[in-house]
Amino acid sequence: MFGLLGTLNLAASSLQAQMTGLEVSGQNLANVNTTGYTRQRVNLGTTTDIGTADGPQGTGVEVTSIEQTVNALLNSQIQNQNSVSGYWNGQQTALQSAQDGLNEFLSGASGSSSTGTTTDSSSGLSSQLSGFFDAAQAVATSPTSTSARQTLISAAQSLTTSFNQISDQFSSLNTSLNASLSGNVTSANQLLTDIAGLNKQISTSEFSGGNANDLRDEREQDLENLGSLVSFSSSTGANGSVNVAIGGQTLVSGDQVADTLQTYSGTNGNLYVQTAAGGVPLTLTGGSMQGTIAARDGTLATLQSGVDTLAGTLITQVNALHSAGYSMTGSTGANFFNGSNAGTITVNAALAANPSLIQASGSATATGDNTVALQIAQLASANETALGGQTFQASYTQMVGAMGDDLQTANDQVSSQSSVSQMLATQQSSVSGVSVDEEMTNLMSFQKAYEASSELVQTVNAMLETTIQMKTS
Amino acid sequence: MRVTDSAFNSSFINQLNGLTSQQYNLQNQVTTGLRIQAPSDDPGAMEDTLNDQANVAAQTQYGNNITTLQTRATSIYTVLQSLQAASSQAGEYATSAGNGVQDPSALQTDGSEVNGLLNQVVALANTQDPSTGQYLFGGTASSQPPFVATKDANGNITGVTYQGNATVNQTDIGSGVSVTVDIPGANTTGTGARGLFTDSQSGADFINHLISLRDDLNSGNAAAVTTTDSANLQKDEDNITYQVANNGVAQTHLDAASTLVTNNSTSLNTMISNSSSANMVQTMVQLNAAQNAYQAALESGVKVMQLSILNYLS
Repeated sequence: MFGLLGTLNLAASSLQAQMTGLEVSGQNLANVNTTGYTRQRVNLGTTTDIGTADGPQGTGVEVTSIEQTVNALLNSQIQNQNSVSGYWNGQQTALQSAQDGLNEFLSGASGSSSTGTTTDSSSGLSSQLSGFFDAAQAVATSPTSTSARQTLISAAQSLTTSFNQISDQFSSLNTSLNASLSGNVTSANQLLTDIAGLNKQISTSEFSGGNANDLRDEREQDLENLGSLVSFSSSTGANGSVNVAIGGQTLVSGDQVADTLQTYSGTNGNLYVQTAAGGVPLTLTGGSMQGTIAARDGTLATLQSGVDTLAGTLITQVNALHSAGYSMTGSTGANFFNGSNAGTITVNAALAANPSLIQASGSATATGDNTVALQIAQLASANETALGGQTFQASYTQMVGAMGDDLQTANDQVSSQSSVSQMLATQQSSVSGVSVDEEMTNLMSFQKAYEASSELVQTVNAMLETTIQMKTS
Repeated sequence: MRVTDSAFNSSFINQLNGLTSQQYNLQNQVTTGLRIQAPSDDPGAMEDTLNDQANVAAQTQYGNNITTLQTRATSIYTVLQSLQAASSQAGEYATSAGNGVQDPSALQTDGSEVNGLLNQVVALANTQDPSTGQYLFGGTASSQPPFVATKDANGNITGVTYQGNATVNQTDIGSGVSVTVDIPGANTTGTGARGLFTDSQSGADFINHLISLRDDLNSGNAAAVTTTDSANLQKDEDNITYQVANNGVAQTHLDAASTLVTNNSTSLNTMISNSSSANMVQTMVQLNAAQNAYQAALESGVKVMQLSILNYLS
């Protein structure tokens, strides 16, 4: 028996505990839309009872802890999933730009035939290639026709312009991807600094007991964001700190940033990632950084090299035939194309200025001869060793198809990884998310308990008054 | 499973985004009539379409080549008909002289007629292509008159010099299929395309044979006309007949090739359509389904979102 005053204390502890519960529910409701917020739960426990002759008697209630409802395994899965999603997002962005740079799109219906709708390729290299060879055919059919020669020059200029534009686009894209990688490294370094800082704050906050829930939420968000940029491994250290390692190199150890990331230029002139202080090149396995690197050094490099080889082979083969031919003025030895690759290919300016200098004839004395023009036109169906035994057209369309395959794979992966991410987010939300209905119910529960405890206080108060009146009366 | 407000909202937004994206793609297909527009839409179909489009362009060019060759073959045929008529007339004069009933003055009159034929034949030998202005019978040296006549003081042709060559151009009329409709004016090499006026394989030398006939008629040498000129003129006529037949074969070949090009283009366009065009009926059905799903998602989502315990607290 601890009397009325003891009972009053019991009621007071209840009021305090219910109030705390109310506050936690209020905090949860306030952050219902906060990204990364983990719902908190107040744990109540009975205070130590007192042994009496009648048996142990309760002394009230107390808040034992306020803790986050978190599933560490789910959080770890989300970090890993972010790395996978980041990788494919990086690939998708780079390859989408490569596809745009290639400009090989089908335009809308340009007309219709009895067999159905016909389509046309806008201004891609494919139509320029066939346009060039077809124009050479026209010269072969009318070797002395000025208009046919002019058309050949125009078709060749369109072709070289397309090659130049594609080369420029790929070059710009390469520069952009390197810049993007540098930007990602800067962001990752900032996150590493933030994580080390939060480790310190969490350690300090939790030193005297309790949980630094909001700081942990913030660190979890940073870890998830880091996962989007680069794949990493983490371990939980002393005092609740999280250690981070990338490519086997420890970068965050406790509250210290052991090392940071930096880019370095590889032998091909492209940027890669290494540790800043240690200078150790890192082999990345996921995240948008690796996605960018993989797309840049894979599909894009192959495409760039392929288009250069295509242009180089065209220059070599056409020039070999053309330089042996004769123009309408009897001149010989001139190249048709200048340059050596997609970026440098141009039409010989002298020919462009005077199409009669096109060396279409195989004879110095026969201006009407079409031998060379026909040979150039027939290159369209020639299988070129430098192009893997394929024709110019087949080689190019295969490049387009391969790039399309890679982008389609990236699109599919982004889509499916998005579903996985969504599923994990739903699971995480199921554990850690705030439900308004649930919190409102808790709110009422705490409110009712608070009201009941208040009633107890009033009752005890009335009883105390009665007791006091008994003495004074 | 415990479903929170944020999970519901996030899922709802994702579903709406997915359905909107689906509608966008389907509406785009309906508007453009294309199932694929970018390589990543269907890489294999895109490859096929690009290759087929290049083939269609090539077929169109073959068609243009055929049209050009048909025009040239027709021009050549017109000349060949005139040459056949001249050859026939010359033959008649030679036959008439061989009858032995004509006096020298009559032979001279015939000689004068043959001289006219000669001038006509030399003019025909230097016929230009009406579309390109190139000389039809100079071989590939077609920018100058192939036959240069030598004349005496009276303006009569006494001989011709051939400035052309014996080479003829081949032109593609299909993949791996080349033809020529050109005829060189003269070919004394014994190989290659037969010359129209002078040809060592057939023994034809039409212009010089006409000069001989004219000179023999003018000189009253009926015996030479009979023994030599008639036989020579027969070779010329045979050669012209050969060229007419060749021209006919070439034109038939061109007609067949033209039909083939049209058929190829038609089937290639069908293949392009099959690869890249949208199936309108199917696409519209899919669009309707996507619209229905979108509407259902909106209605159900809004209804669920409106419900909360807050509505029942007072």
